[in-house]
Amino acid sequence: MTAFEDSLRPGEIVLEHASRSFSVRADRGRTLKEMLIGRRRAGGPPPVEALRDVSLHIQPGETVGIVGRNGAGKSSTLRVLAGIVPLDCGRVGCGGQVVSQLELGAGFGREFSGRENIFLNGALHGLQKEQIESRLDAIIAFSELGDFIDAPVATYSSGMFLRLGFSIAAHLDADVLLIDEVLAVGDEAFQRKCEARIAQQIAGGATLVLVSHDAALIERTCERVVVLDGGRKVFDGPVDEGMPFYHRLMGTAEAIPPEPLGERVSPR
Amino acid sequence: MAYRYLFEQMVRRELRQKYRGSALGVLWYLINPLVLMGAYYLMFGVIFDQASEPDYPLFLLVGLVVWVFFNQAVVSAAPSLLDQGALVRKARFPREIIPASVVTVQLVTFLALLALLAPVTLAIRGTADIALLLLPLVLACLFAFILGVALAVSILHAYFRDVAPILSAALLPWFFVSPIFFRPESITEQATARFVLEWVNPVAPYIGAIRDVIYGGIAPGGAELVYVVVVAALALLGGHALFARLQGELAVVV
Repeated sequence: MTAFEDSLRPGEIVLEHASRSFSVRADRGRTLKEMLIGRRRAGGPPPVEALRDVSLHIQPGETVGIVGRNGAGKSSTLRVLAGIVPLDCGRVGCGGQVVSQLELGAGFGREFSGRENIFLNGALHGLQKEQIESRLDAIIAFSELGDFIDAPVATYSSGMFLRLGFSIAAHLDADVLLIDEVLAVGDEAFQRKCEARIAQQIAGGATLVLVSHDAALIERTCERVVVLDGGRKVFDGPVDEGMPFYHRLMGTAEAIPPEPLGERVSPR
Repeated sequence: MAYRYLFEQMVRRELRQKYRGSALGVLWYLINPLVLMGAYYLMFGVIFDQASEPDYPLFLLVGLVVWVFFNQAVVSAAPSLLDQGALVRKARFPREIIPASVVTVQLVTFLALLALLAPVTLAIRGTADIALLLLPLVLACLFAFILGVALAVSILHAYFRDVAPILSAALLPWFFVSPIFFRPESITEQATARFVLEWVNPVAPYIGAIRDVIYGGIAPGGAELVYVVVVAALALLGGHALFARLQGELAVVV
């Protein structure tokens, strides 16, 4: 936690003049020489500017959808908010307990049972053993894994894997929920359950930032929408104005499927 | 301190994951160094028997166990951040925990080996002395020294993938110039060479101090003790500072 984050209220999110670019060289490592003199090698493709001077101020309890075409900077924004990737310039802070669901089940040990992975995943969010134990039953019940909870995760179907990942993240008492396109979890019944669980957390005061290409999901879940294009914020406002703006931007205002070619197709 | 339990979980995971499904499981952590020590003992204790020290096998093994700790910890810490890339890219937590848990697992192995070796040595050599009270201090310093080196090596390797291979290449000659099979004073008369063997190699004073206490039954020399404490502090502070300075981009590079 930085001092800046301590000054924020739980659930408050601040992003000020945030910029971040990524090198797109094939080998991501740097040489020792570059590191010591603090410079990057010239040549090759120029770095991709994932975020350009983006500012956001989100109040506790707000529900914000982030939309934009592929490569617009949506996932980078979430990774920056989650504190995983630092900014080149500007500043960022989230108040309170941040739970990021950037990839469900990231870091699961495949050789370990579902139950063991609950403990590891809870610990990753800074929880102590007793705190995890007290939620264990709820997590297992929510995941609907039954006896599979004691089987190694390697034996799970991909749906079971995601269900366990979501169940853990959903029981961490988040002040800020950062969710990246992971709600297409399991079958339709489980998706409804996930949405209901998120709604319950929002009702409890949590702030939601959701990245999705599923326009209907954004409209159902979010009151405010931020449209990113080429790393810039091009719209920030209520969802009923934001989604038409987004569709015009994508050139899909008249078309039925909101997904551009090559996008992940929503199961619904 | 919020991540105390994560550290515990990572140590447990490290301990169990590597040899999960193998018949001998966690025992491999002991078998590997035991085989290594057995091989070196055969080579230098039996075949090329120097016999310049009384109870030479014990002289050798006490030095070896320290070296094996250093060697195994550094070698396994180097690629540890890349091995845990999935966690580093997707979650926010103190990344020091990853190399620290690797080193801690090797510490457990080391202490287990020492618990086998030390009583035997003390009994045979009759070296149970008041100097033994210094052992915890020296061991704590050894751990701090190795942890500092491991932090530096792991973060450097994440950015610069040649670090681990360079390290593997360097460890073998490093091993041979470390005072494990010999005492520097008994193989060279030259003052410079002796100084280099005793003080330039940072592992040497740790081996010397631990051997003094367990094998020799005497307290380490004052200079040696100061060296052991100061180098431990420098390694830990330096390693941590380097890690803190470079870790920002970790999620991007691993």
